[in-house]
Amino acid sequence: MPKCKINGQEVEVAAGSTIIQAYKAAGIDICHYCWHPGLSVAGVCRLCMVQIEGMPKLQIACNTEVKEGMVINNTSEVVKDTVKWGLDFHLINHPLDCPICDQAGECGLQDQYMQFGKYDPEMAEAKVKKHKVVDLGPTVVLDAERCILCSRCVRFTEEVSKTNELGIFNRGDRSEIGTVEGKPLDNNYSLNTVDICPVGALTSRDFRFRQRVWYLKEADSVCPGCSTGCSVKVHYNEEGLWRVKPRENKEVNGYWMCDTGRDTYKFVNLKARLLSGRIGKRDQWQEISAEDATRSAGLKLRETVQKHGPDSVALVVTGQYTNEEYKDLLKFFTGELKSKNVYHWLNNPEKMKDFDGLLFRGDRNPNTMGLSAALAAHGVSSKWETLQSQLSGRKLKMVVVAGPENQATFPDMKEKIQMLSQADGLIWLTAGLNADLNQVGSETWQVPLKAYVEKAGSFTNFEGRVQPFKAGTTIVPQALTLSEAVELLAGRDLNWALRPKGLGGPKTNYAVTQRGTL
Amino acid sequence: MFSLSPEGVEFVKKECSRYETKHSAIIPSLYRVQKEKGWVPPEAVPYLSELTGLPESHINEVLSFYTMFNKKPVGKLHVQVCANISCAMNGGRELAEHLCKHFGVKDGEISKDGKITVSKVECLGSCGTAPMMQVNDQFIENLTPELALRKLKEMGV
Amino acid sequence: METKLLTEHYGKDEYIKIDGYKKHGGYAVLAKALKMDPKAIIEEVKASGLRGRGGAGFPTGMKWSFLPANGEPRYLLCNADEGEPGTFKDRLMMERAPHQLIEGMIISAFAIGSKKSYIYIRGEYDHPIRVVREAIAEAYKAGMLGKNILGSGFDHDMDVYAGAGAYICGEETGMISSIEGLKGQPKLKPPFPAVQGYLRKPTIVNNVETLAAVKYIIRDGAAAYRKYGTEKSPGTKLFSVSGNVLKPGNYEIPLGTPLKDVIFNLCGGLKPGRKLKAVIPGGSSAPVLTADEAMKVTMDYEALAQMGSMLGSGAVIVMDDSNDMVDMLDVIMHFYHHESCGQCTPCREGTGWLSKIVHRIRHGEGTVNDINLVKTVSERMMGKTICALSDAAAMPAISFVTKFRGEFEDYVKKGNQVGGALHA
Repeated sequence: MPKCKINGQEVEVAAGSTIIQAYKAAGIDICHYCWHPGLSVAGVCRLCMVQIEGMPKLQIACNTEVKEGMVINNTSEVVKDTVKWGLDFHLINHPLDCPICDQAGECGLQDQYMQFGKYDPEMAEAKVKKHKVVDLGPTVVLDAERCILCSRCVRFTEEVSKTNELGIFNRGDRSEIGTVEGKPLDNNYSLNTVDICPVGALTSRDFRFRQRVWYLKEADSVCPGCSTGCSVKVHYNEEGLWRVKPRENKEVNGYWMCDTGRDTYKFVNLKARLLSGRIGKRDQWQEISAEDATRSAGLKLRETVQKHGPDSVALVVTGQYTNEEYKDLLKFFTGELKSKNVYHWLNNPEKMKDFDGLLFRGDRNPNTMGLSAALAAHGVSSKWETLQSQLSGRKLKMVVVAGPENQATFPDMKEKIQMLSQADGLIWLTAGLNADLNQVGSETWQVPLKAYVEKAGSFTNFEGRVQPFKAGTTIVPQALTLSEAVELLAGRDLNWALRPKGLGGPKTNYAVTQRGTL
Repeated sequence: MFSLSPEGVEFVKKECSRYETKHSAIIPSLYRVQKEKGWVPPEAVPYLSELTGLPESHINEVLSFYTMFNKKPVGKLHVQVCANISCAMNGGRELAEHLCKHFGVKDGEISKDGKITVSKVECLGSCGTAPMMQVNDQFIENLTPELALRKLKEMGV
Repeated sequence: METKLLTEHYGKDEYIKIDGYKKHGGYAVLAKALKMDPKAIIEEVKASGLRGRGGAGFPTGMKWSFLPANGEPRYLLCNADEGEPGTFKDRLMMERAPHQLIEGMIISAFAIGSKKSYIYIRGEYDHPIRVVREAIAEAYKAGMLGKNILGSGFDHDMDVYAGAGAYICGEETGMISSIEGLKGQPKLKPPFPAVQGYLRKPTIVNNVETLAAVKYIIRDGAAAYRKYGTEKSPGTKLFSVSGNVLKPGNYEIPLGTPLKDVIFNLCGGLKPGRKLKAVIPGGSSAPVLTADEAMKVTMDYEALAQMGSMLGSGAVIVMDDSNDMVDMLDVIMHFYHHESCGQCTPCREGTGWLSKIVHRIRHGEGTVNDINLVKTVSERMMGKTICALSDAAAMPAISFVTKFRGEFEDYVKKGNQVGGALHA
């Protein structure tokens, strides 16, 4: 464990660490673009220059190993001058179009120039013209003039996704990032290139121009897109979620996440959600509050058990809820209702073990492991076939379904809804709207549940790692957690004082109501 | 559809196993394309990628980095006139301009009849015999505009 | 003054082919070397004080001794990517004496224990490429390459790799990238090539002239080699003289020879009526010398360094008073802008910036501040990048605007109406 001195501060690092890692570990600022902890060292931006006692020339911190007793600084005048000019070299051919750039507000050039820059540009020449609005593929758009050629994205496609779509073509100040015709940037990790692009060169087709980032808040979460459970950050405002980005977690996802996981903000937003309770059947629906719908469903459920015994009801549950919710749900169903008719609804049994070698798994549920553990703990081991025969034999009066939150991962939704509606009554607990559900012929209670970002809890990922997360924001104020729904189903009350308020839905710009012409 | 001759395909395959790493076959393969087609059209990149199993991006990086690969068609005679320092001191730039004017082409442009391209290039390592031009593979040195034209005439333009 | 060691047989056509080469003692030194202890060869090269003839002037024997002592496979790469403007010595060696290079290489490979070598020749050198390829084929046929060379038990394979047009491939790690089939972009150091070079294996990169010189050091011994040149710059060196001299060409002279003798004796001096204005002593990257400096300096590593310039590749570009220094710098800056590989930001952006400023001054649109800016920008490009191309652009820029500032000021004052302007 070599010790060194950074800007006068004693720092101990793991053997083999580079100076930039030591700076990061000690939390001391150092300017850099090309270095990224998840990629190989390129050493090309030349900004992480440091002065090391006993060395005549400045060294780059990213490619210099810390040796015992090194005395390092990046605060001397010569380093400051080098970094100032280094930033100016980055900017002389940069378009400086921050007002119309999507990266503004989270741009490495902006941030680091404010911190380390020269502030009096001397470049008076015509800038190099490069390609703009380049279609790199289905997810990413390139502005080559903004690009500072740090090569992070190229290294990502070489080293991480191993898909090699990107290259730096031409040379000198004519160099441009690009793809080859017929081989677009099209892999399930492509949007990581946008995350690691320190400037506005690579932007996400899905997100660009939709929000100014300084209006967005962020919250830590766990991606519910598959059983890997990548650590993520969700970005939201009053209207809902706008994007999901990976959050560093060495144990699970490193610095990355897949593009599929980034779509997990879509089913959370208002348009895709069940906003209130509904009672009725095909084309005859009554909208009532979530609370009243759940109470009414609970009454019917308990009455059915009383009249026809616990075997007249069944619970169907998906792997998309938290461990805490499973515990409450199963305690109620097996303990209070004393029914052992609990069935695990698997969305894609034949693909459950699939894995792309990087992060994405065929088990498209965040908590299959948690559900299996909860079922085992409650001594439930019912077979799906039993449910089928119970339904076709018309033995079931009521079925409670804790349906999928991410409905896109359940290709058999329609078919399963039809199958489950063979019961006389259906209590459907779910965050998402479903048109097929509105067509069922049996009496149905639809109860709006919260989505993952709206509640706290934990998921157990594919390898048994329990990953707790906190509530980020509230999008559907009425929605209940599954645990809350269970309380209401059981006939108990909730502490309404603790219920979150909604964020208010779409914003209206009251100042301007008419759009002018250009 | 772009393709190399059967001998060209054979050549590329041989180059793939000639060096310690397959990537080393990229430069010789691009040369082969240029030899057969006179230039390297963009379609050669996916073609060579398919043939060698190397990523398109790597092939295109190499193609775009090196100046000897013609990224657009050139004349039957590709005249490259050195305009770097020793040649510039001895009239290299004037020679290039003279040839351009004579053949009615701009720097780097192909003539209408497709017979000639005149380009100003960087040092070709013939500084003691300046000015000079490289016509296709051949160095022609100690030139005057008149001598250069005579040589080109002998070569067919 | 001319001392023909490496160039002794340049005039003889028969020397190009292996039979003719052998007639003049060819491959006898290889036979001798193969009987020596490889370590003794390295020691001899060290003792000779031979320094790299490609440009950097790094002691060859010391470079070899950086190789790890284990049995890992290692490569010898000959740098024949002669691209430094003003330089044409390696081309002549390959054209006139290809076997001399090959023999020097086999000896060097034996010394460092390498079983495979490449000669990386710039793609524009079509004729030398063909000559060297044929020579290698001859050497194989004669048992000088391949398995069990001359019954010594030493195996060695040699191949030519042709570049495709990039000055930067003359930088040793850029060249390694190029042979690896990539863009010729220099690699981060450390690790140095001797530890991790070609395909991350220990690799030695030496210039054509350096490797050929090894043959003569082993033939005559270090002491004999040291008889030429100076204490710190021993041996002979090939100089490529171009520009405004009456007899430009390649000259082999002992290091330490006065530059004025090279210009005015060997090369026949200037055109009648012309006066010496400036000399670039070591290729376009070397800071320019004024006439006064040129008349004083001797051609060796130390004297030129002391004068603030460098020996570089030994390309002497002589400029008489007909030259416009602003125009010349414009040409030089255009070159570095064209050749920057583009990976390090200060070089990628700085070379273009410098070229544009100088071009603007050259066309009468500059200000005094622009002249200062050339210097300021250049200073910020020096010592900041992976390789020395950035410095190679900055050094001439600084020296031109400093030593010939008056000419730049004339352009600023009078627009482009300055006498001597060629392309106003």
